[in-house]
Amino acid sequence: MQHRDLARADVPLQVHDLGKSFVSDKGEELEIIRSLSFALGRGEIVSLVGPSGCGKTTLLNLLCRLMEPSHGAVFWKGEELATVPSGIGYMLQKDLLLPWRTAIQNVMLGLQVKGGGRAQHRARANALLDQLGLSGFANHYPSTLSGGMRQRVALARTLAPEPEVLLFDEPFSALDFQTKILIERDTLQLVRELQRSLLLITHDVEEAVSLSDRVIVLSRRPCTIVSEHRIELPGDRSNLIALRESKGFAHYVRQIWTELDIR
Amino acid sequence: MSDRSGPNLISDNVAVAAPGVSRQARRAATLRGRRLRQGRVLLCQILCFVVFIGLWQWQTMTGHISAFLYGSPAGIVAALIGTIQDGSLWTDLAATALETLAGFALGNVIGTTLGLSLWYSRFVSQVLQPFILALGSIPIIALAPITIIWFGTGFASKVAMSTLSVVVVSIIIAYKGALGVDPDQINLMLSLRARRSQVFRLLVVPASMTDIFAGLKLTVGFALVGAIVGEFMSSTDGLGHEIFKSGSLYAISSVFAELAVTVILALVLSGIVARVERLLLPWRHDLS
Repeated sequence: MQHRDLARADVPLQVHDLGKSFVSDKGEELEIIRSLSFALGRGEIVSLVGPSGCGKTTLLNLLCRLMEPSHGAVFWKGEELATVPSGIGYMLQKDLLLPWRTAIQNVMLGLQVKGGGRAQHRARANALLDQLGLSGFANHYPSTLSGGMRQRVALARTLAPEPEVLLFDEPFSALDFQTKILIERDTLQLVRELQRSLLLITHDVEEAVSLSDRVIVLSRRPCTIVSEHRIELPGDRSNLIALRESKGFAHYVRQIWTELDIR
Repeated sequence: MSDRSGPNLISDNVAVAAPGVSRQARRAATLRGRRLRQGRVLLCQILCFVVFIGLWQWQTMTGHISAFLYGSPAGIVAALIGTIQDGSLWTDLAATALETLAGFALGNVIGTTLGLSLWYSRFVSQVLQPFILALGSIPIIALAPITIIWFGTGFASKVAMSTLSVVVVSIIIAYKGALGVDPDQINLMLSLRARRSQVFRLLVVPASMTDIFAGLKLTVGFALVGAIVGEFMSSTDGLGHEIFKSGSLYAISSVFAELAVTVILALVLSGIVARVERLLLPWRHDLS
């Protein structure tokens, strides 16, 4: 297969000519993703920006192998897998916290699935909650936490099994601006510190530009790549507010907006 | 901590007090107000009951209503005291309660296990669906003659009736609960490389608990009805047996006395289920 030759073991995630179509009950073929090729390097943050309904969720399911592609291939560290890859952290707009588990038990979920000592899990979960400013809330049920806190717990749950690659599907879009900036900052810090790779799927252009090394613009359905931008901004990248005021920032945002085919 | 405030905090205008009144006093006033309102509801309920019973007693005493055909409160109390004195109340109550509990437990264990395990295979559940619905549409009383033939006229046939009244509802509720699990939540588990058995144990079973407990509250009543119907068909003791016997003898007050005991039994049983739910699903309090 020609894709095989391109696969490299030192790149966490590579996507080659990926496509997905569904067949409806009436027999009509619905093409969601036409052809996507991109790579996510180690320690890199890449955003996929597209108009809503462009098949971002389908893409995420394809990447996680929760769904089989119609054509093309996904390589995790150079391997094409038939099952869910190991070492991925998956986070959605919904926090997906289990209401019958306390905050810390939710953080421990991924570790529990993996197996191993419970005391170790607890220590790891506690450390993450502390890091995300939730130290006093370990034993609270999700229903007693605010939206921002719940998303922080979800972030801790995602990071707890120490995934190498993070796949985020609009994880911050349901939050108010202030909470969003704070969580984005914490995420950025943790991702950079731990040298993780992050693929961020979003329709928030400013979020994409402020967080990413590269932004890939997707078209409407059937989804293909319109353009790719390497984001180079001066100064401290972790200061998300100051970044938004820099001149280059506005330029990128305007450029991407015009390329996004929004009706 | 919580960004939702309970409705009571808004409507308690009793809590509005003059400035300078301590926080504690205000809280006490709020609680007092709430208790007062609850007390008023209870008072009205008692009043309704007393007026109804009073009218009934008065009408039967004046002869406007025949105590022979409609019973009378005094007769009911007398009948109750009679059954307590000869001890038959306790044996009947115990018999029916035992049948109900056995049927309730058996029906729910079988139903919940089957319903949840249907989650494992969409294919099997689709094949079985029409059969389950067909079973569910059978009036349970129609099965009574068969259960007597199969299980005899003793304890077992009542338990069978009670179980049958519960089991189909229990299957459907557990299956619906399992199907209702958010597919995104399942994907999250799969992304953590959870095995299917782990998804079932860590997600599907606990997520279905809310529905299952709603089912338990519902089926505790069905189990009692099943047991009583079983006793109607053939029995030597039990509340259903007494109701049937008293009715045949035109002892209407006794029928009502046994009915009252049955109602109390139903309330106690559903009270126990609610208590157990609160114990087993502590996270549910935070929602209410």
